[in-house]
Amino acid sequence: MSIREKIQEFVVEWDEEGLKNYCQRLLKNKEAKASELLKDIGAVMKFIGDQFEKEEIFLPELIGSAEVVKATIDDILDPAIRAAGEKKKSMGKVVIGTVESDVHSIGKDLVGSFLFSNGFEVYNLGVEVTADQFISKAEEVGADVIGLSSLLTMSMDFQKQVIEELKKRGLREKYKVIVGGAPTTEEWADQIGADAWADDSIEAVHKIKELLNKK
Amino acid sequence: MKLKKLEVFSKDELEVIHSASITLLSEVGIKIDAQDTRDLLKANGARVDDNTYFVKFPESMVMENLKTVPDSFRLHGPDGSFSFEVNTSTTQFATIGTPVKIYDPKKEKGVRKSVMNDTIEQIKIVDSLENIVCSHVDVWPNDISYITIHAECIYQWVKNTKKPYGLGCLGRLASQDMMNMASIIVGGEEELIKRPRFIGFMNPTSPLHLPILMTNGFAIFTKYKQPTIIAPEAIAGSSAPVTLAGLLVQTNAEIIGSAVLSQILNPGAPIFFGTVSHVTDMRSGNSAMGSVEMGLITAGIAQLARFYNIPSRGPGAGTDSKVLDLQNGYERLQTLMLAAQAGINYITCAGTYEATLVEALELLVIDDDLVGMVKRTMDGISVDEDTIGLDVIKRVATSQKKGVNFLAESHTRKYMKSELYIPRLSDRSRRSTWQKKGSKDIIERAREKVNEILKLHQPNKLDNIMEDQLLKYMKEVQSRTFDDYKKAEGLMVDGITLPDGIEIRNNQK
Repeated sequence: MSIREKIQEFVVEWDEEGLKNYCQRLLKNKEAKASELLKDIGAVMKFIGDQFEKEEIFLPELIGSAEVVKATIDDILDPAIRAAGEKKKSMGKVVIGTVESDVHSIGKDLVGSFLFSNGFEVYNLGVEVTADQFISKAEEVGADVIGLSSLLTMSMDFQKQVIEELKKRGLREKYKVIVGGAPTTEEWADQIGADAWADDSIEAVHKIKELLNKK
Repeated sequence: MKLKKLEVFSKDELEVIHSASITLLSEVGIKIDAQDTRDLLKANGARVDDNTYFVKFPESMVMENLKTVPDSFRLHGPDGSFSFEVNTSTTQFATIGTPVKIYDPKKEKGVRKSVMNDTIEQIKIVDSLENIVCSHVDVWPNDISYITIHAECIYQWVKNTKKPYGLGCLGRLASQDMMNMASIIVGGEEELIKRPRFIGFMNPTSPLHLPILMTNGFAIFTKYKQPTIIAPEAIAGSSAPVTLAGLLVQTNAEIIGSAVLSQILNPGAPIFFGTVSHVTDMRSGNSAMGSVEMGLITAGIAQLARFYNIPSRGPGAGTDSKVLDLQNGYERLQTLMLAAQAGINYITCAGTYEATLVEALELLVIDDDLVGMVKRTMDGISVDEDTIGLDVIKRVATSQKKGVNFLAESHTRKYMKSELYIPRLSDRSRRSTWQKKGSKDIIERAREKVNEILKLHQPNKLDNIMEDQLLKYMKEVQSRTFDDYKKAEGLMVDGITLPDGIEIRNNQK
C-alpha cells in the first residue's frame, strides 16, 4: 500500500490518532518529507471532495475527513515544515467568520471545510466577529480573502461595516471580500461593495478561486 | 416504533362488514358465466341457479376454503436470481395499470400511443430501480397484434429483466401460453410451480360477476400456483353503492367468493386480496382514481385482508391528472402514502397517470424515489439509548471548540443513512447551485435519470436452445386466428371491452 493509500484509509475512517502517528513515524524515519505528506493529503482531500460533488458520499463524511486532516496538519505537519525551513504552498489564505451580532456558524463552517478540502489555508474566527477582529487577523496572517457570513437580515448590515472599516484603514484594495448567508443576494453584495457573493458553500469555493485568479 | 397502521374500521365494524358480505354471498351469490366453474362450485357445496348463472356460497363453504389460502409466498425473476416475498406484514411496490399512451412532450397533446419499444423500456427501467420490484404488461404495445401480445411481452421480459412479471389472466388459451413459455424459460413446469414467476390479474366485474374469460384464465394460473391478484374495480356510485361501506361489503364478497374458487381449483394456490376500487366523479361520471376516497377504500381492503390473513394488493400513485402537474404530484403521493400507511402488502401503479391510462417513464423513476420516502415514513422513529444520543448532545453543546456542530460526529455518520432518506431526484440546493445545474425541474431531472438507465442497461444473455424454443412457440401463437381464441374460450358473453378499446362481440349467445 502506498503512503497516499494508507493516508486515505485513515482519513476515510476518521482515525485522527492513526493518521497523526503514521505521519510522525514517516517523518521520524525520514521516509517522507512533511511537504510530500502535505501533497499526498491534498490529493486525498481532492479525491474525497470529488466523491462529495458526485454525491457518492455526504456532508458528514466530507467534514469529518477534513477535521482529521486539519488536526494532523496543525499538530504534526505545519510544525515539521517550519522546523525544516520549508515553505508551505497553498491555494491561498482565507479569513472567515460570522459577523457581529450573529451566532450562526454552520454555513460558514461548511465554507471553511470546503475551502480547506480544496487546498486553502483557512482561518475560521467563529461567530460574532467584529470588523477589527477580521482585519487584524487578515493583516496578521497575510490573507488573500476575507469571507463574511450572516444568517439574519438584522446582522447583514455588519458585513457592510467590515468593508467600510477596510476603506477607512486604506486596506480595501489589499483584500478580496466575499459575502454570503441565507438572506444575502448578489444585489446586496454589489450594494455594499463586496467583490463576490456566494449562495452556498460549494459556490463559495468556486467564487474564491475566481477572485484569486483575477488577482 | 414503526408507524401504526391506519385503520378505517373498529373491530366491531370489521365483523359487520364481513357478516354482510357473507349474507351477500349466501343469499345473492356471484354470477359466474362459465358452466364448468359453476359445476365445480356446485360439487363443492354451492347452490347454483343455471338459469341466472348465480352461484350462492354458504358460510361454511366460504370459511372452510379460506383456511388454505397462503399468508405468504415468494416471487422470482426469470433466472431466479432476484426474488421477493409477499406476506401479510411487509410492503412491496410495483407497477400495474392499463396505459395505452405514453408521455411525449414533443407531441402537441403531450402524449402518443405507446408501442413495443416503450413496453421494453419500462421493463428495463423497473429492472434498474431499487424500490419497484415487479413490472407487468402495463405499457400497452399498440403496434403488436392483440392475440400475440402476451407471447411477445414474455419474450421481452426474459430478455430484459431479473424481476418477476405480471399478466392479465384473460382466457385459458393465452394463460396456458404464458405457463408454457415460462416453463421453457425456467426449465420445466415443476420449477415454475415451485418458484412462481408470474402474477396474474383476475378482475371480477362489479357488481358480483365473474366473466368467462377471467375464470378460464384464473383456473390456469391457480393450477400452476402463480399468485393471482383478485382485484375488483368497483366504482362508488356507479358499479357499487356510493357509500364506501356498501362498496366494501360488495367488493369483499367478490374477493372472498373468488378466493374460495381458487382454493377449490387448487388448495394452497397463492392469491392477493386486492382492490382497484375507487369513486365516480359526480360531475362527469368519470372514475376518480386520485380521490381521497380511493385511499379510504384501499385502507378498508387492507384491514379486511388482515382480518382474513391474506396478503393485500392496492393502488398507490394514482392520479386523474392529464399532465405532469401539481395535481399529478399531490394525488400520487396522497394515494401512495395512504396505501402504505393502511398496510397494503403490494402497492401498484407506479409510473402511471390519467387513471393509469398513460405512462411516463419519468414518473416511474420519481415514484421509485417517492417509495423511498414512504418506506422511511413507515419505519417511524427508532428510540433506544444510542439513538437518543445523550453523549453526543452533551459533547457538542458543551464543546469549547469554535463552531462545533453535529455534522462531523461519528453518531451522525453512523445513523445518517438509516435516519434520513436522501432523495435522488428532489432538489434541495440553493438557487444559485440549482441555476448552475441548468435550472431543471423534477421532470427534466427524471428524464436524465431515465436516459442514463436506458444507456447503461444490459440485456440478459439467453441460452440459445431456450431462446429457439421460445421463438418456435411464438410462431405457433402468431399462426392462430382470433376465432381460435373465441373457440378455445367458449365465449358466452355479449362483449368485453379490452384495454386497447377493441371489442370482441359474440352474437351467438
